[in-house]
Amino acid sequence: MAEKKKYNYCKELTKGFLRENPVLRLVLGTCPTLATSTSVVNGLGMGIAATIVLVCSNIAISALRKVIPSKARIPAYIVIIASFVTMVQMLVKAFVPALDESLGVFLPLIVVNCIILGRAEAFAGKNPVLVSAVDGLGMGIGFTAALFCMGTVREIIGAGTFLTGLDTMIGSSFKGFDFTGALSKIGLAPMTIFILPAGGFFVFGILMALANRLAEKKGMKKASLNGCEGCPHAAACGKRQEGEAK
Amino acid sequence: MKFYIALLVMGILTQNFTLSKFLGICPFLGVSKKLNTALGMSAAVIFVMLLSTAATYPLNILLQKCGLEYLQTIVFILVIAALVQMVEIIMKKYMKPLYNSLGIYLPLITTNCAVLGVVILNIDNITGYAAYGFGFGHAMVNSFAAGAGFMLAMVLFAGVRSRLEAADIPKGLQGLPITLIAASIVSLSFLGFSGIVEGMGLM
Amino acid sequence: MNKKDVRDIIKTAVSLFLICAVAAGLLAAVNSVTAPKIAENSAATANEARKTVLPEAESFEEKTLSDGTVYYAGVSGCGKVGYVFNTSAAGYGGEIALTVGVNSDGAVTGITILTINETPGLGMNAKKESFISQFTGKSGSISVVKGSASGDNEISAITSATITSKAVTSAVNKALELYSLAVQQEG
Repeated sequence: MAEKKKYNYCKELTKGFLRENPVLRLVLGTCPTLATSTSVVNGLGMGIAATIVLVCSNIAISALRKVIPSKARIPAYIVIIASFVTMVQMLVKAFVPALDESLGVFLPLIVVNCIILGRAEAFAGKNPVLVSAVDGLGMGIGFTAALFCMGTVREIIGAGTFLTGLDTMIGSSFKGFDFTGALSKIGLAPMTIFILPAGGFFVFGILMALANRLAEKKGMKKASLNGCEGCPHAAACGKRQEGEAK
Repeated sequence: MKFYIALLVMGILTQNFTLSKFLGICPFLGVSKKLNTALGMSAAVIFVMLLSTAATYPLNILLQKCGLEYLQTIVFILVIAALVQMVEIIMKKYMKPLYNSLGIYLPLITTNCAVLGVVILNIDNITGYAAYGFGFGHAMVNSFAAGAGFMLAMVLFAGVRSRLEAADIPKGLQGLPITLIAASIVSLSFLGFSGIVEGMGLM
Repeated sequence: MNKKDVRDIIKTAVSLFLICAVAAGLLAAVNSVTAPKIAENSAATANEARKTVLPEAESFEEKTLSDGTVYYAGVSGCGKVGYVFNTSAAGYGGEIALTVGVNSDGAVTGITILTINETPGLGMNAKKESFISQFTGKSGSISVVKGSASGDNEISAITSATITSKAVTSAVNKALELYSLAVQQEG
């Protein structure tokens, strides 16, 4: 029956941008968000790599949803996601080696990015192929957008540059903007703390506050702290925590 | 010996897994509300980290011998998932008290990026710290230090958060934003440890 | 355990096995495409690095020291102009690998960092020109000082990243040692 349901593709695509933004609203994938947003180019690279994995795994899982036995669902999802991650890893190493170097361990760690397993469990495992692909694309764009915002703030304030590293990444002649020279003329230096881990948490906190404010204006609830709703184990985790609190 | 101590100090203080490498942020934010849950979760993480390092170390050698390094990610995540399941089943059957205190955190650990992270970083360290002869013992110490660092961060942060609950926080920052800003300050304080490894003459 | 359970287990196991087999097959296929490209990339990067650190040389000859270490002799129209060594040392976040160029007088002509995985904003500053250019022209044994360097063989450390600075320096010193070995061997 579900197959005959009409999908609003546009809505499925855009929900990931703001309304259900995986990072700022659902609070998923926080580790890569904090770790790879030290510069815009890094963040974009991470976002695009994760989006490719997300779209591919959503398509594969949705296509196989009737074949995968429900008991062995999670291990099957993990195998599918891990193979796409490895493929992306190999392709990045072959064609964008600079990105592989700057993402380091976070490239293979896309496997455990809650956004991907979360979408598999919450959406792709229940819906047809095309709409799952659209859902994955939307969520991926939302993730990339959040990383772009974090990266922009951290790179401009923390390093005094914008879009540096683009030349080594995609071989363009554009080397990015460098404000450090202009800053030092007026006796200022970039605030390195913003590219350090502490700055990552800080910028994330402020962005989260802004996102909450926006959400509140539109009458939505705040992003919640135990917001691992999309995580496949979250049901167990959340319930247990509530139970303990009582 | 010196290098073992250096690994411990780096893992726990200067290169803290959670606060400076950003691994395991989800449980750090989600499960650090109360001290005892924070302790239980991190004890389970240390246990699984040690176990999966011990299991993947020989597997990696096997993969390298067969020239199948590219299967690393997929093999490691499956090994971790299978190990966690097995430990859960064994604990449930034979170590009921331990299961009651730690078992509930086990299923959450499969997707904890700190565990897969430490396993992959250990494999990287074999080439990275080749000069120090990074081997099985070092890998185990490094995993322990990573887990202990996670525990330290969780426990400290549980304390900070219990204070936050009582504080009068501006409306816009209530909830997650203030938690992240508090995490930023805790992370900042860990910056004070930088240089300690060198100062102690360990590297 | 009744028949239905057994069939259920077999069905689960078979479908998981099939998914794993297909995944492994696909990965092997992608690997066979990307592996040569990756090897080609690293060869190109290594060659590029050699050219940057010893710009005078027009071509490089691969040579081996008696202990098996591979190094390169840079040759230009008017004969041998210097050597290039690949060395590494352990930094804060793992291996730091360098390519170091040394001219025939035993002075460093330039260094490039091949792999580095230090803290962004601190140790990663080792990649900056202002740090690595300090090595150019130095010879013998180089040491690191905090603050501004005064001596001939001193370089100033990166702020808040002494371990990284020391690691890079020790890798450069290793290259200089290899240089004297190479000169001895070639006579």
